[in-house]
Amino acid sequence: MSDGATTKRQQKAALGPYGKVGKALNELDDRLGVARGGRTFMDKIFPDHWSFMLGEIALYSFVILLVTGVFLTLYFVPSSAIVTYHGSYLPLDGQKVTQAFESTVNLSFAVRGGLLMRQMHHWACDIFVGAIVVHMARVFFTGAFRKPRELNWTLGVTLLILAIANGFLGYSLPDDLVSGTGIRIAYSIMLSIPVVGTYLAFFVFGGNFPGTAVIPRFFILHVLIVPLIIIALVSAHLFLLVRQKHTQFPGEGRTEKNVVGSPMFPVFMAKTTGFLFIVGGVTALLGAFAQINPIWQFGPYDAARISYAVQPDWYMGFLDGALRIWPSWSFMAFGHTIPLEVTIPAVVLPGILFNIAFAWPALERRLTKDHEIHHLLDRPSERPRRTAAGASVLTLLAMLFIASSTDVIANFFHLSLNTVLLMMRILVIVTPILAYPVTYLICKELQGVKGGGKRKTPNLVTRTEEGEYLASATPPYRDDRPHEIEPAPVPIFIEPEPDEPTESGVRTVER
Amino acid sequence: MSEHDAHRTPVSLSSVSANDPRLQPAAKNPGTVEGVIAVTFVVGALLVAGFGASYWVNAKPWILGATLGGGLFFLGVGLVAWGKYLMPRGPFVEERHALANSQSDRDAFAAAIVERGGGVLKRRKLLGGLLGGGLGIFSVVALFPLLRSLGPLPKGTLFHTDWRAGTYAVDQTGRRIHHGDLSVGSIVTVFPEGTENTDRGQAVDQTVLIRISNDNFTTQKGRESWGPQGYIAYSKLCTHLGCPVGLYEQQLQLLVCPCHQSMFNATNGAIPQFGPAPRPLPQLPLYIDGQGYIRAQADYDQPVGPGFWERA
Amino acid sequence: MRSTLARRVALSIIAGLFVLAPAAIFVADAGANSLNPPQTTRKNSGTPNSSYVLKRHGVVIKYGDKYITYSAPPSSLDALGQALFLENCASCHGTQANGVPANGTNGAYPDLVGLGPATITFWVDSGRMPAADPRVIEAPRRQPRLTPNQALAIAAWVNSLAPSYPLIPTPHLKRANVADGAALFALNCAACHTIEGDGDALAYGTYAPSLRHIPAFQVVEAIRTGPANMPRFSGNLSDQQVNDIVAYVTEYIQHPQNPGGFGLGGLGPVAEGFVGLLVGVGVLILVSYWVGERS
Repeated sequence: MSDGATTKRQQKAALGPYGKVGKALNELDDRLGVARGGRTFMDKIFPDHWSFMLGEIALYSFVILLVTGVFLTLYFVPSSAIVTYHGSYLPLDGQKVTQAFESTVNLSFAVRGGLLMRQMHHWACDIFVGAIVVHMARVFFTGAFRKPRELNWTLGVTLLILAIANGFLGYSLPDDLVSGTGIRIAYSIMLSIPVVGTYLAFFVFGGNFPGTAVIPRFFILHVLIVPLIIIALVSAHLFLLVRQKHTQFPGEGRTEKNVVGSPMFPVFMAKTTGFLFIVGGVTALLGAFAQINPIWQFGPYDAARISYAVQPDWYMGFLDGALRIWPSWSFMAFGHTIPLEVTIPAVVLPGILFNIAFAWPALERRLTKDHEIHHLLDRPSERPRRTAAGASVLTLLAMLFIASSTDVIANFFHLSLNTVLLMMRILVIVTPILAYPVTYLICKELQGVKGGGKRKTPNLVTRTEEGEYLASATPPYRDDRPHEIEPAPVPIFIEPEPDEPTESGVRTVER
Repeated sequence: MSEHDAHRTPVSLSSVSANDPRLQPAAKNPGTVEGVIAVTFVVGALLVAGFGASYWVNAKPWILGATLGGGLFFLGVGLVAWGKYLMPRGPFVEERHALANSQSDRDAFAAAIVERGGGVLKRRKLLGGLLGGGLGIFSVVALFPLLRSLGPLPKGTLFHTDWRAGTYAVDQTGRRIHHGDLSVGSIVTVFPEGTENTDRGQAVDQTVLIRISNDNFTTQKGRESWGPQGYIAYSKLCTHLGCPVGLYEQQLQLLVCPCHQSMFNATNGAIPQFGPAPRPLPQLPLYIDGQGYIRAQADYDQPVGPGFWERA
Repeated sequence: MRSTLARRVALSIIAGLFVLAPAAIFVADAGANSLNPPQTTRKNSGTPNSSYVLKRHGVVIKYGDKYITYSAPPSSLDALGQALFLENCASCHGTQANGVPANGTNGAYPDLVGLGPATITFWVDSGRMPAADPRVIEAPRRQPRLTPNQALAIAAWVNSLAPSYPLIPTPHLKRANVADGAALFALNCAACHTIEGDGDALAYGTYAPSLRHIPAFQVVEAIRTGPANMPRFSGNLSDQQVNDIVAYVTEYIQHPQNPGGFGLGGLGPVAEGFVGLLVGVGVLILVSYWVGERS
């Protein structure tokens, strides 16, 4: 017994001060030389400001999309072959449907957990695109896209486009009445492109609409090609983030030459993993309690059927709204037709918007003649012109989105549909123009406010025994107080305090 | 180990005491927080286990989602709280080094490309040109079969439907439409007989048949014979984006597209009256044969559906 | 000084927007209603019943079989019906129900003679008639002002002036096939009422009503008579098909199975988008507000 114990102690001593972990890392470092880089990575500092978490919402909803999506591919059949549905949902019994539709209904009703996974997948998609937009707005309004981060901005805009495109592809796959109408519209939009439109539409759909090629083609794009590109670009996005290090808001101890915050390990790791769980939890709760895209109620797509009040998913809404309000100006001459009523709102408009987004960093460099490298962020009010321009574009998009539900608005407020549409035509033009000066003036106002960003503290009013009232100020909120502690680099070694119990949450290691 | 750290910027705190204020938890009373976190972990673990159990017994979707979502949420909240309140509160700082290299490094890089590569090309312009030409041809050739084999050429398919002189109008069940079938103010979707169950029939040939009056009805000059006994037929494909114009308001006499609310005047050759559609719905000339069935006089006189470049 | 001025300008623009936008909506609304859509068949809006048309062309479509039975209102109610009509309807539709009121001016009000009893009972039973505001384009559904028996009496009296069809239907839903009904609903009804039956705004202030709370026999009446702007489905839908549609409407549209959670009001992607953004992204932003620091 004692011999055994001694041997164990000796073995432990032979392993060195860091035990088996240290031994394993030694072996790894012998082969890959990871010690320096790994240590630096552990020390990478992440700013603590909450707005830096917005991109993480997008990243983690993408993770959920991948996980739930893999589940769905196990049961979904990407085929336009016609079968007769005989399943548990009575109103569809005996109807001729495509295999794509049948398998989607079956995976919702007959596969254990299938409906939850499908709904989580759809909700995660809505959240994914929404989080990208919010993250992008944060980056835009704080000037985080400025030199040296223009490339990462470009990657981000590309990711937004890919997310929207893949959302549309996935939305189309079940081949239900609502999504089939969306595909029909997409076909017509392709058809509207001058000169090459008919060829483009025929090549994508393998012939005239609807054809049988489009579901399998959309499927492989949706589950393989586009996700691979997204994964590659997200990796590049994160690599650039690590390489260029984070931006940060100006403040106590923060300069262009440092980053202040929490280290990768363990603080950020704990927070971000927890956040991943929370994103997954919220998605699952939405999937549990809020029904999304009940395709069994819509029934299978049939080109002669149509439902009123059909709208695309929210991120395509601005295109639908633009198509609704654009006047019927078609160009017909010289034996050719250019369907401007489709081409302009559905092709030219998004083309212009996304190209402006791509070009914005260069555009701003040119306008401001600012070619410096920036790591400290702007407060939106410090850059009234940029903020106003962004607010203007967001207003335009919001108005176009609202215009995609003119019928819902008319029904809700008991207005004439025609009136609402005319109003939206006016509002789409007027509100973005008004948004610019209004935002500009508000920014100018905020610049004049002293102590902006700091919350006001209440005054405490007390009444003395004599009935006298006294007002006294309360101390500032904890978060608003300047740091009492100087920021310092992450320590490499921690000396144990002799005879002191370890503080909870702090691991001390033996040297 | 000091050798290994030599590359690092001078570190003021390479080794600190565990009492350093930055290493202390942010929470004022860590014990309580630890208790709360422990509770969230226990609740989370129970819910995740409940998810497994409810999956095993094939519970309703909302129970699966509630247990899974709740479990993940509580575990996540606990983990975040651990990181936020109990781990070293910092603040910590990291130096930011300029990414740019020295000018001589840049020059050396540029020289490697320009001098070496340029030298090679300058000496062998012919080879460079030939290689470029070959690659150019390859890229065009690679593109051609890829694109070309994706689908057939459009040719005339967008210009014609399957309606012919004498084609019977049938509903989706294949039943021929008799002139007594519809009363004034009625609508039915019809197809050329034989196409009612085909993709093409549904996507291209679909036609709305409405009855406007009991007498022959002329929607426009030159169409005097097209509307026997008040039966009028228009292509069901919206000229805006090809949605089925299935919405008929019989008092307003409007055909409305449910997608983008283009409104077509049914009495007047389906001229667009409101909304984004640029052209009238093409009208199908009809006649009623000796047995009283509705048939087409001919195909549409123009391409149906949305606009495209080749359309005159 | 400059900043005070700027604040005033900004505030007045914002306030102006809030005041002007609704005002502009209502001004434009008045304008849109004066846009006159073609009304060639307004006089026709209650064109003679289908059986008349069918007979004229030598075709007889028989209504009434094991799927839907039709019954004429009992003539014993005629007298009561006339009294009720004079009291509630004659001021607009005239004492002879021919659309000419007592003062002699011809109404924009429809001639009710020959419309069939089902038309009368549909409008009265759904509370649309007697109308609260006769100028409204399409009277909205509301609590009926007359009892079903009173409605039947009025129908009996009007029918006694000129017996006509369709008669008052009774669907037999146990014989229906909801799968066929669902397919027919998607082809014939969803274009206006939406695939989930919620209804929506249509052209020029007209609308398709929600189907969520409509008794089965009224659905048949609406399909067979085509009230207001709704097309009339006569010979092109058999009684069996109508019965299938009604079964689908009353069993599934009115009681949707929502195995995936709350149905979000059937508004589809718009409501889903709001939930996804406000609840999904919104909650996660709040969480990140907690996870991160706020300075």
